[in-house]
Amino acid sequence: MSAQELLASARALLDTFISEHNTPEEDRLDVWIAATNLPHAVRALHNAGWGYLSAVTGLDLGPEAGQMEALYHFCNGPAVLTLRVRLGRATPSVPTLCSIIPSAGFFERELSEMFGITVEGAPNTDHLYLPDDWPDGVYPLRKDFDPASLQISG
Amino acid sequence: MKQEPQKVITKKGERFIIPIGPQHPALKEPGHFEFAVDGETVTDATVRLGYVHRGIEKGVESRNWVQNLYMLERICGICSHTHAMTYCLGVEKLAAVEVPERAQVIRLIMAELERIHSHMLWLGVAAHEAGFDTLFMYTWRDRETVMDLLELLSGNRVNYSANLLGGVKFDISPEQADKIRQGLAFLAERNTHYLDVVMNDMLLLGRIRGVGVMTREQAEKLGAIGPTARASGVARDVRLDAPYGAYRTFKPKLILETAGDLEARFIVRLREIADSCRLINEALDNLPSGDLTVRMPRRIKEGETISRVEAPRGEAFYFIKSNGSDIPERIKVRTPTICNMGSVLALAKGHQLADMPMILVGIDPCFSCNDRMITLRRSDGEAETWSWGQLREYGIKAYQR
Repeated sequence: MSAQELLASARALLDTFISEHNTPEEDRLDVWIAATNLPHAVRALHNAGWGYLSAVTGLDLGPEAGQMEALYHFCNGPAVLTLRVRLGRATPSVPTLCSIIPSAGFFERELSEMFGITVEGAPNTDHLYLPDDWPDGVYPLRKDFDPASLQISG
Repeated sequence: MKQEPQKVITKKGERFIIPIGPQHPALKEPGHFEFAVDGETVTDATVRLGYVHRGIEKGVESRNWVQNLYMLERICGICSHTHAMTYCLGVEKLAAVEVPERAQVIRLIMAELERIHSHMLWLGVAAHEAGFDTLFMYTWRDRETVMDLLELLSGNRVNYSANLLGGVKFDISPEQADKIRQGLAFLAERNTHYLDVVMNDMLLLGRIRGVGVMTREQAEKLGAIGPTARASGVARDVRLDAPYGAYRTFKPKLILETAGDLEARFIVRLREIADSCRLINEALDNLPSGDLTVRMPRRIKEGETISRVEAPRGEAFYFIKSNGSDIPERIKVRTPTICNMGSVLALAKGHQLADMPMILVGIDPCFSCNDRMITLRRSDGEAETWSWGQLREYGIKAYQR
């Protein structure tokens, strides 16, 4: 199947969840969905055997915009489908996908520690990459985090 | 050697946890594993990463597009070309720049030479962990052939720095092409021998046949990629699924095995070395003429793109967002090892402790030469410390009957 056909089948599967969509490149489809619909949308893809979860990207749109985005990239042959969830910057939260895709745990732990996005229901919320003594409430990939603010002791 | 968990009389809630790492001589990126054991059998496994986290994704947000090429190339010492190429392909897509054909083919040749050196490196390490040091020594001696070829072309053994935004830095002369052909002929012949050893040496087979079996369903569920997935019959190779650059013209073969055990992972990687040799020869014979670079703008058009490349260990994934300036807004890097790490944790369960080194090595995580410590800790606080060398010895002895 071509990328376009694959993306059309994904769009049909997710039809009820999509609030907006965009085709940034011919082999890609971006769809915006509500955070509460995320597990349902992923289950629909999973049940239909549509591709695999390849990566999760966090995006901080900055303190002025007051928004963040979590991007769930699903690859299927030549096609890349991205489920995008818009989040408020004050208390960003997404439901976990671990019960559907166990390997999502690594991606979620990274998303959570780097952006301060709470993953509701995650089986493991320990740091994956950051040190255990990393200060609470400091999220290095947020736009207002300044690496120079890290004190180097010793 | 898969066994049903034995009934062991223990106090309620008491578990033996064996922490491994973060320092050890094999993994280049230090990782910390904790294996819960019931007697000899592993019942649970967890991993903690980040000991070499350098904040590269943050770092790229304060450097310009050209500086970032050098930064991203240094994510991995083994597949440096992969990272630079994935980044360049993405940025070139955003800038709507078409790279000259000759440059694309040179990128492919470098990528396949890199795959050969990476797989041979792995073969040596895997042989060493199995206690088969003769094979380790021979493969690393032969690997020097491909390292010399990489140095011949680029002047470097590790970060070849072949890529530029908009092309490549160096050409391949007819004399160099002949040297590559000679080197590949030698490697292909040696590779046939190694395939014979792996498939027929009874001592090695005792460590790899039927060990660490991952079925196709498991591989798909665990999100495995690259040779690890292909050894379980998952037909997934970005070079074929979503061809990029010169892979649109020069097609690799899909190498699949169905057994899903460590032996299948050996065979897939060895057959991939053979296919990379074939692919490089084909590319050298059909090297298009023309320029090596095309002019790139300093500022990159606003937009988002996704770039995927088949690294030696599986799909490398980059998400690149530009805000129209000379500095990227965001670059997300997802390397293949994290996808395969889940399979180690799942496969560990039900296997013997002695199989852990081989199962971990089976996915080909990145390797280095630090010493690795293992602490055997009991819930009552008694501690015994092992080095990785001791665990390896233990693994080898467990198989000597």
